Amino acid sequence: MLPILQIGPLAIQTPGLILLLGLWFGLTLAEKLAQIDRIIDPNAIYNLALTALLAGILGARLFYVARYPDIFFNDPLSLVSPNTAMLDAFGGLVTGGLAALIYGQRRKLPLWPALDALTPALSVLFIAAGLAHFASGDAFGIPARLPWSIRLWGEYRHPTQLYETLLAAGIAVLVWPRRRAEQPAGVRFLAFVALSAFARILVESFRADSTLIFGSLRTAQVIAWGILAISTQWIATRLKHQSTAQPLEEAKP
Amino acid sequence: MPISSRNFKWIQLALLFFAAAWIAGTSWLSTPGEGSRSASPRAGFPAPSFTLTDLDGDPVSLSDFQGKVVLLNFWAAWCPPCKAEMPAFEALQQAYRGDELVILAVNTTYQDDLTAAQEFVVENNLSFPVLLDMDGKVSNAYQILAMPSTFFIDRDGIIQQVIVGGPMSETLIQTQVRKLLAEVP
Repeated sequence: MLPILQIGPLAIQTPGLILLLGLWFGLTLAEKLAQIDRIIDPNAIYNLALTALLAGILGARLFYVARYPDIFFNDPLSLVSPNTAMLDAFGGLVTGGLAALIYGQRRKLPLWPALDALTPALSVLFIAAGLAHFASGDAFGIPARLPWSIRLWGEYRHPTQLYETLLAAGIAVLVWPRRRAEQPAGVRFLAFVALSAFARILVESFRADSTLIFGSLRTAQVIAWGILAISTQWIATRLKHQSTAQPLEEAKP
Repeated sequence: MPISSRNFKWIQLALLFFAAAWIAGTSWLSTPGEGSRSASPRAGFPAPSFTLTDLDGDPVSLSDFQGKVVLLNFWAAWCPPCKAEMPAFEALQQAYRGDELVILAVNTTYQDDLTAAQEFVVENNLSFPVLLDMDGKVSNAYQILAMPSTFFIDRDGIIQQVIVGGPMSETLIQTQVRKLLAEVP
């Protein structure tokens, strides 16, 4: 665990740093890989992600401010404080998602090929998220005495953060675009979603911070099962309705 | 490798069935209990208990303040950002007078100059309890890696937010405190 990297007077939050590096690395790769499918302009992918990110951060701060307007009124400079504790995750997701939708509409990006092109960036980001959890000690496991247990928060525990990272790496290998897609557009992205949901179902069983639903079921697993069902059904539909020669048709704006 | 839609149907069924069996099976085998959380210096965990002496030599325990929101700060006199956020703590202390909110500033005396710390407290008229961690045991229990470190503890003694580094803005401190005060005990 290395939540803080102390360099002289600077206290760097390691998890945040890992996530930023993952995002940058993932996007750079996605930009390069977009040339394989040659459907989406590589620049558009980068700009789409950047727009969503910036709008997401802005939205996260504004939703937080909306909860305590009087405090921020007395100290308007705090609006631009870099402190991540003053962000609202839900607000960030909503604004980031909306911004991505609007950007995609205005640039007339075809939805499924755009999501496919973003998939490598997402899969790298999920690996980074696992490593970030490892650095911060979040998403920790249930106590267990195993040869590979890690000592964390006063107990020997399942290294769930490493399970998560390894599975994310495996998924990245599976969905990585190697040559021009032979599957209908969207299948790469949906496969990534389905596999990630499946991985979450596996790992969640070893996590100690789960919340429960319906008595003794883990909430995250129930939600992930729903996502798995929907995404695999979607794959089935796309496989059925499109022969492999057709994806380029959809690409036309 | 292209997959036919007929083959995929079987893969889908197998995945969904296995996932459902896994969820049911593992939840039956092990249930994550809230009770398994031992005191630890991180959000979501009970704050490690301690007893230290204040500047007058009187013992002060974290458990004295159950039912109140506690802002627990670790600082040193040699640390400029630690000193920079003290006036904001004092303003909060004046506003709440220890009724619902308690501010505890633990001086990391084991690696600080006690005289300098005392002078700083007097010069700035700090009225909240300043506690002395002489042997570093409490700082160790809270795994202090960087200074200042501040723990926002709710009425049930659970840490809700950890802020490492500073100085924190008054806005950050006030929003975090208000969030915890708004929670019904």
